[in-house]
Parts: sequence; structure tokens; C-alpha cells
Amino acid sequence: MSTTKQTIRVQAVSFLNGRPLYHTLIDPKHTPRHADGTPMFEVVEALPADCAAALTAGDCDLALVPVASYVDHPEWEVVPGIGIGCRGAVETVIVCAERPIEDATIIYLDGASRSSALLLRLLLHERGLSPQLERVEHGRGEALVRASNGTAAALIIGDAAFGLRDRFEHTWDLGAKWFETTGLPMVFAFWAARPGVLGPEHVEALQRARDRSLGKYAEAIAKQYRDELLARRDGQSTEPVLPETRYADYLRKTIRYGLETQQREGLVEYLSRCRLAGLIEIPGLHPEDQVHVSFVGAGAPEQLVAARARRTEPLDVDAILQRAAAGQRIDLAEGLFLYEYAPLMRLGEAADQRRQALHGDGNVTYIIDRNVNYTNYCVTRCKFCNFYVPPTDKTGRGYVLSREQLAQKFSETEQLGGIQILLQGGLNPELGLDYYEDLFRWTKANFSLKLHALSPTEIIHIAQIEELPVIEVLRRLQAAGMDSLPGGGAEILDDEIRNRISPFKNSTDEWLEVMRAAHALGMRSSATMVFGFQETPEHILMHMDRLRRLQDETGGFTAFIAWPFQAAGTRLKLRDDTSAFRYLRVQALARLYLDNIDNIQVSWPTLGPEIGEIALRFGANDFGSVMIEENVVSTAGAHFMMTAREIEKHIRLAGFEPRRRTMEYGIL
Amino acid sequence: MKLPKDTTRFAQIAAKVREGQPLDLDDGVFLYRYPDLLALGGLANERREALHGDKTFFNVNFHINPTNVCVADCKFCSFARLEPDAPAAYTMSVDEVRQKLVDRLDQPVTEVHIVNGLHHNLPFDYYKDCLRALKALRPDIHIKAYTAVEIHYFAEKYGLSYEQVLRELRDAGLDSMPGGGAEIFAPRARRKLCRGKADAEQWLEVHRAAHRLGIRTNCTMLYGTVETLEERVDHMLQLRELQAETGGFQTFIPLAFHADNNSLAKLPPPTGIDNLRTYAVARLMLHNIAHIKAYWIMIGIKTAQISLSFGVDDLDGTVQEEKIYHMAGAETPQALSRGDLVRLIREAGRVAVERDTLYHERWIDDGAALEGIRVDASLPYSSEAGRVSLPVV
Repeated sequence: MSTTKQTIRVQAVSFLNGRPLYHTLIDPKHTPRHADGTPMFEVVEALPADCAAALTAGDCDLALVPVASYVDHPEWEVVPGIGIGCRGAVETVIVCAERPIEDATIIYLDGASRSSALLLRLLLHERGLSPQLERVEHGRGEALVRASNGTAAALIIGDAAFGLRDRFEHTWDLGAKWFETTGLPMVFAFWAARPGVLGPEHVEALQRARDRSLGKYAEAIAKQYRDELLARRDGQSTEPVLPETRYADYLRKTIRYGLETQQREGLVEYLSRCRLAGLIEIPGLHPEDQVHVSFVGAGAPEQLVAARARRTEPLDVDAILQRAAAGQRIDLAEGLFLYEYAPLMRLGEAADQRRQALHGDGNVTYIIDRNVNYTNYCVTRCKFCNFYVPPTDKTGRGYVLSREQLAQKFSETEQLGGIQILLQGGLNPELGLDYYEDLFRWTKANFSLKLHALSPTEIIHIAQIEELPVIEVLRRLQAAGMDSLPGGGAEILDDEIRNRISPFKNSTDEWLEVMRAAHALGMRSSATMVFGFQETPEHILMHMDRLRRLQDETGGFTAFIAWPFQAAGTRLKLRDDTSAFRYLRVQALARLYLDNIDNIQVSWPTLGPEIGEIALRFGANDFGSVMIEENVVSTAGAHFMMTAREIEKHIRLAGFEPRRRTMEYGIL
Repeated sequence: MKLPKDTTRFAQIAAKVREGQPLDLDDGVFLYRYPDLLALGGLANERREALHGDKTFFNVNFHINPTNVCVADCKFCSFARLEPDAPAAYTMSVDEVRQKLVDRLDQPVTEVHIVNGLHHNLPFDYYKDCLRALKALRPDIHIKAYTAVEIHYFAEKYGLSYEQVLRELRDAGLDSMPGGGAEIFAPRARRKLCRGKADAEQWLEVHRAAHRLGIRTNCTMLYGTVETLEERVDHMLQLRELQAETGGFQTFIPLAFHADNNSLAKLPPPTGIDNLRTYAVARLMLHNIAHIKAYWIMIGIKTAQISLSFGVDDLDGTVQEEKIYHMAGAETPQALSRGDLVRLIREAGRVAVERDTLYHERWIDDGAALEGIRVDASLPYSSEAGRVSLPVV
């Protein structure tokens, strides 16, 4: 793992926009140090393409690299949360020409650039343009265009591009072009490290260095940069020197130094489009597999590093199981140990004991509700989903249910003894907060049904559309009639897995934050986990641990439900590594690890009623819902449907008394 | 439904098991009814591990059902067609039977499993010719053919003793016998289910004769129809008794009743927990039969995988063509690739062992990477190559 005491050898881009990322690293006063005083980092400045070469050659451990160079090195680990990008115009990645760029017969590419050159090739490809492309030395482009009599254009990047828009009649700002095409931010560069070199302390130091530079030193960096320009200046310089404030604004406003959900979307979109256009190839990645980026420490947050540390006492399966069965808390290390080493039957027995202690009345509950998927339009394009239709779809497969259709489904539900609607749908950009408020008010005015509605992913989507804080969205939905939240969209609550399977979807923290806010408003929710994405035991346990910590804080989760990923027909081509055996292990472990969540639900729609029945002896005390209708997993190959009578039969066969319940697990 | 848990009685039985004492009828019924499923499973697992460790056997075989025309009218059967011209009735020619193996000459199949309806007018030579044709094609292949019910039928129809029938078939190429047709021995249940078919004594007598000739056989029990738990345990005890005498049974295979296209369709099928209990009780009652097999094609691969912790040590084969259960609505894929099967065994923490029919170990899983495992479009755990659609009746 991380070599804590060593000094990390760093190469960083000397362009203005790279400086905030390492400014405080090279300042002896502020550079982060280890406890013994040795500096954490030792920085050398270089051009972007050279940084990548040095990292490849092993001449440095960490480098600020063009994102395009990551393609050849999927083994590199990217520092989370930090990037150099833009959302719209970037000012320093410019194609310039004296005549319209569409007419250029040759475009000179800046030799220092990789991501920008690739982006230009992509934009040309998508416009059906194929001028000759020629790499030239960094800084020569402008002169070549001037000498070409209007036949040439040039891609100029970095500081040399400042003010080009004033000097040429025809320019493309590639940041702006990208944003026009995709509506997404562009990321040009990020910190990448050789695998296993960085630890969480380095990531934190790098993030702090960025925050500090931007917060306090943007002006100082701008001034220093301008002074250097003036000092370098000679008679032939065409590069104008701009006022300091212009440079500072560029750092503060134009360049985006984050690498959060939106930027990750942009990044993956960029790499995916380039791949689709045949411009790049990613070694070792199956053509149908999703492009993904691995981050430093994604699989090993601090708690995990601690959990994996050497212990003074060896772990003992029997002792841990005994404590867990008695309702005592087991820690992350113990949970991992059980997941990896406890025999299934022992795990099951302990979970069964714990279930008996929590629910000793011999009852197993279920609910009659209807799963209504109000729309299947969705912008997130998750690889594991076989339900969504993109908003741009023209085949007529997309739908938004009308009030008439909803009314019919709702009254059928009431007639069948249903007490609740589980309302979930795709992330439809056409539906704003008003739509949901109206829908909920209408439901409450016309039906006596509880609304178990909108998973965190949908809440975040609405908050983004409306540019409102999540808590405000929840407050308004609650006022309109929402009763509780389903725990969907959790998949594996770990960003390393999420980035692979659903890069366009909310992050782990965002998901947890919605639940935190909903619980604070007094709304209860369930919690879910979908496994089988080739996650490690660590991912599974971290998922449970995150839920347990939030539950300690809020107490708002009513139940936990896990199920194996249903792969059929989805675009996520994974080796299917789930099984009934694994399901029972996960469920039994959840019963033990989630000592503060009352109920464990079996997932019979994905496993079948027989395993559902057996699972009641592996820690579960709830048989889920009759699900009068379910569209999502059933489009991916889960075909089990059951009536209340059948559910009751299976509950009885397992030796329990069936009882109908509410969402909050009250017996009806 | 909630039963008191007599842990003292359970502990006494567990002690008997550990001392190697045979369990009696009451013990078996008590275990069947014991509410703590995992304690029962744990005890069965203890026996399983004492006998076989983590080894979990499978073989690479395929089934041929040369005819489904049958004079018996078993209530639980969706396969048999009483008249030769009934819809979906078929009888293959010897050449067609032979062709089934020709189609698989490039596959590493070690066993052919042959079961038929009781055809009213095929000559005895037909059955021998089928065996000869297959052996001529692949002399090394093991032929496991004809249940005791068929042997009994041949003896009656062609006026031969069991021993004569078996000798002639053995000379034509029969190596061992499957365990089918036992259904449930209790006369009360048998009258309701399959009046007129070989009865318990005849079934056992055929196996006794086979064992005397050195022909190894399997044994089965059909459960989940009209029988009581006592009758299930009694069935196991009768098998145990013959085994004590001859030692010729290799494997006991509990068969869960499937009710879709037969005249017992109103019965609910045995479900998850009943299946697991049956495996566990069988493992504990049948101390003198080496193997307990879960026929995954019938109970589904998910329950079969879990059964490996409830006394089962054999998952049958990578079955290539099986008509009988699929006509009765088994919703499992018809074939699992070898890689799929090994993966499921690994996932259950066991070691896959490919065996031949007589349990010689041909290959032991060394943990190397498996081939051919990708998600199939519609069938859980089935590789693309192994995908076979169910026969339409």
C-alpha cells in the first residue's frame, strides 16, 4: 500500500492552469510534510505530454497528465476530486484560422497537447470533417497559420492561446464546442499515480493544496505568472500580456478544478465517444465494456486500511458469530473476516438467532403494494439497466404515464387490497418538481394510498433540474404528500464500483446525503444493495458500514434488502459471479452487521420463491411485497410473480406466520 | 405450523449419528419435522464432510429417451404417451438412437443415460440393439440404462427371469442401472400414483439381481405427491436394508415431484425448504449409501447449490438432453456448461470433481481460470454454448 515516509516524485504542468494544483506543494513554507518533517512531494515542472512520458517511464510517481494518456495506462490511479477542466469556454484550447475552420485543408496540432488534440479529432469526426492533421512543436502553430494564406488552422493550447480570439477572425474554443455537443463539462488533465503509491494522506494533501491555492493565492499565482511572462518577453513576442485580474479570473472562474459527478460524466463521455469513433483503443478492455477510471484509494478508505491492519489478537469465527448473534456490534475487520471465512451454515445460524431475538413472534411480514414506473425516459444510461429509454429516443418506446393510466393503476391497487404505491421512474429531464408536487397532491386527494416514492437518484435529479438544495426538494415533496423513500439506486455504495457501472449516476455521498436529509424531515426509507458487479468483499462491507453509520446518526432506515445483479439484456457484460449461495451469505451477514436496522427483506423477485423461503432461515424476517407490477428487473430476466396467497404459502412452509404490514413495518 | 423445538431429542440423534449408529423410522420423522432447518442441515453436512470432505461430484453425460410410448399410466408423469399415435408420441429407430451419440462424438461425454416408456410391442432385441449400436460407436462409453421398472416389464413381456434379462442386456453393453421407477414404496401411495407398475418388492428384487451380477445401480425416491413423511422415511429404510445386504447402490437421488402437465397438477410442488430437509434426512438415514445426489435439472440450480451444505455431494451431470422433467415444466436450463457447474461449486466453497459413472475421479478442480462463463441472455448460469430451448409439447 502507501509508502508513507517516502517523498513522492511529482511532475506537474507549468501552464498557468496547472499551477493552483501544485503552488503550495513547491512553497517550502506550506508544502505538506510527514510527521518526521520530510516533504511528501518533490515537484518538477514540465509540458503535459512530457509529464505522461515521465510517469510511464517511472521517472516520477505522480504526474499531472492529459486525460487522453490515461487510455494507454488503465493501471494508473487517478487522484479523486481533482481535475483541470471547464464547463463551456476554456480560453486556452483554441483552434484558430484566418478563414472558416470547416474549410481548412490542414490543421497543425500543438505538440504539447494530447487530450486537446484528441478532442479536436473527435469534434472533426463528428462533423464529418477530415483535414490533414500535423503535429508541430509547441508554440509554432500561430506563425504557421499566418504563413498559410488562409488554408491552415492550428490547435493552440496553454498560455499561448490567451487572447487568440481577439487576434483571429475564426476560432473554436474546444471547451465551448464540447459543451454545445454534450451539455457536459470537459476534463483535460488530472493527477495520475503509479498504482499503489499514494495513500489517503496524499490525496488529502493534494486536495488541500488545491483548495488553499485557489482560496488564497489565485492573485499571487496570476501576478507571478505575469511577471515571468514580462521577464521572458523579447522583441518578436506576439503573445500579449494581459492584466493580472484576467489571469486570476481565469483560474477562479473559467477553469474547474473539481472531478465530481458531472465532471466524471464528461470524462467518461469523452473517452467513450473517442472509443466509439475508433480514435482510441483501451488495452485489455472488452469492446462492450464500459470505460472506467480507477481512483486512488477508492477501494481502501481509511476505515478499511485500519480494518486490514494487523491485529494483536487473531480473529475467531466462533467468537465473532457468538457476539454478533447476541446483538453486539462487530467492526469492519470482523465483518470482512466473516464474509471471507465463516461457513455459510454458521453464518446462517447466527443470523437466524439474531432474527429470532429481534422478531421472536414467529411472524414474517409482507406488504401489498404496486410498483408503478411512471416514466422510462432516463438520462443516466446505466449499463446494468434494461429498462430505460434515452430522452433522445425516436422509436416510441419511451413513455410518461398519463393521469388516466395512473388513476387506473391506483384504483386497481386499492381494489386488490394494496395500501401503497412504490413510485419510481427514470431520470426524465422533462419532469420538474411541479410535476411531482401535482402528482402527489392529486394522488392524496383521490386515493387513500401511501406514497413510497422516488429513490435518492431521482431526488438528486430533480434538485439538479430545479437548482434547489436536496432538502428543499424533499420538504416540498413531503408537503405535497410523499410518505417515504425507497432505497433504490444504491447498487454498491462505493464510488469505485459506481464509476464503472453508472458513471452518470449520483455518487455514494450524494446518495447518503439524500437519505440523511429525508430522515431529518421524518421520512423513513429502506436501504438496498445490488451485488455481482465484480466488487470485492471490501466493497460489500463498506456498503454495509456506510449504511450502519448513517443509521446510527438518523435511525431512519426501516429495512435492508440485497439482491444479485440481473444481467440479462443489459449492456453490462460481466462475468456472472453471483449465486444463491452468495446471496444467502450476504443476507446473513447483513442481519449480523446491520445491528441497528430492524428488518431484513428477502428478494424473491430475483431469486425465486424457493430461495426466498430458505432465506427466511438465514436472517430475513420479511417477504417483501406482492408487487402487483414490476418493470425493471423483470425486463432483465427476473420472472417470478406471486400472489399474496403464494407468498403466505411460502412463509408458512418456512415455519412462520404470515402478516401483512405497512411500509413502516406496522402489522395490519 | 410452529413446532416446539425438542433440542434434547435432536442432540440424542446427533450423538447416534456421530457414533455411526443407524437411525430408525422415528428418528427420521423427527428430523423431518425438526423446526431448526440449519441444525438439521449442519448435522447432515457433518456426515457429508466426514464421507467426502469438500468434494462435489459431477459427470459429463447425456440422456436418451428412445421412446415415450408407455403402457403404465403414472399420475405424476408428463412424459409418457399411452398410444403410439398419440400427439407427441415418438419411438426412435436404433439408427436414431445411434445418431444421438454420433452428434456428440466430439464431446468429452463419459456416460449415456437411457430411460424409456414401457412400449407395448417393441422386441427385446430393440433394447439390446440400442446398447450394441452405442458401444460399437464408442466402446469406452459407460451405458447406464433401463430402470428396474423396465427390467421387470421386459421379464414379464419376454418371459425371462430378471437375471436373464440383465445378463442379456449386460452382454449387449449395459454397464449400470439408473435408480428410477422406485417412486415411493408405500403400497397406499403407489396404488394412487402408479397402479400396475412394478411394486416395491419387484423393484427391490430387480436391483438385488443386478447387484448379484455385479451391476452397480442408483436408487431414487419421488416425493411431494400423496405420501406422508413416515412413508418417505420408510422408503429410505427399505433401500438401506437392501444396501446392507448387497452394497450395490452407489447414490441416492431424491426426486421432487413436478406437477405441470400431468394429472396431479393440483398438487403444490415441493419447495425450497422441503427439498433441503429431504436431502438432509436422506444423508442421515442412509449411512450405508455413499452419495446423495441433487438432480439440479429438477430443483433448479439455485437450490441445488445450497443443497451442497445440506448433505448433498453430487450434482449429477452436465445434462445434455432431458425430456421427462421438462415436459413436466421444470424451468431449468437443459444444460449447464462444465465451467458454469464448476463455478457454482467453487462459489459454494467446495471442490468440483469430475467422476465417471462408478465414481472414479477423472479431474479435480485446481482453481484454474474457467472458460466460457459469460452472462447468457435468458438463462441464469448458462453459457451461450450450453443454451438449449425447452421442448414444446
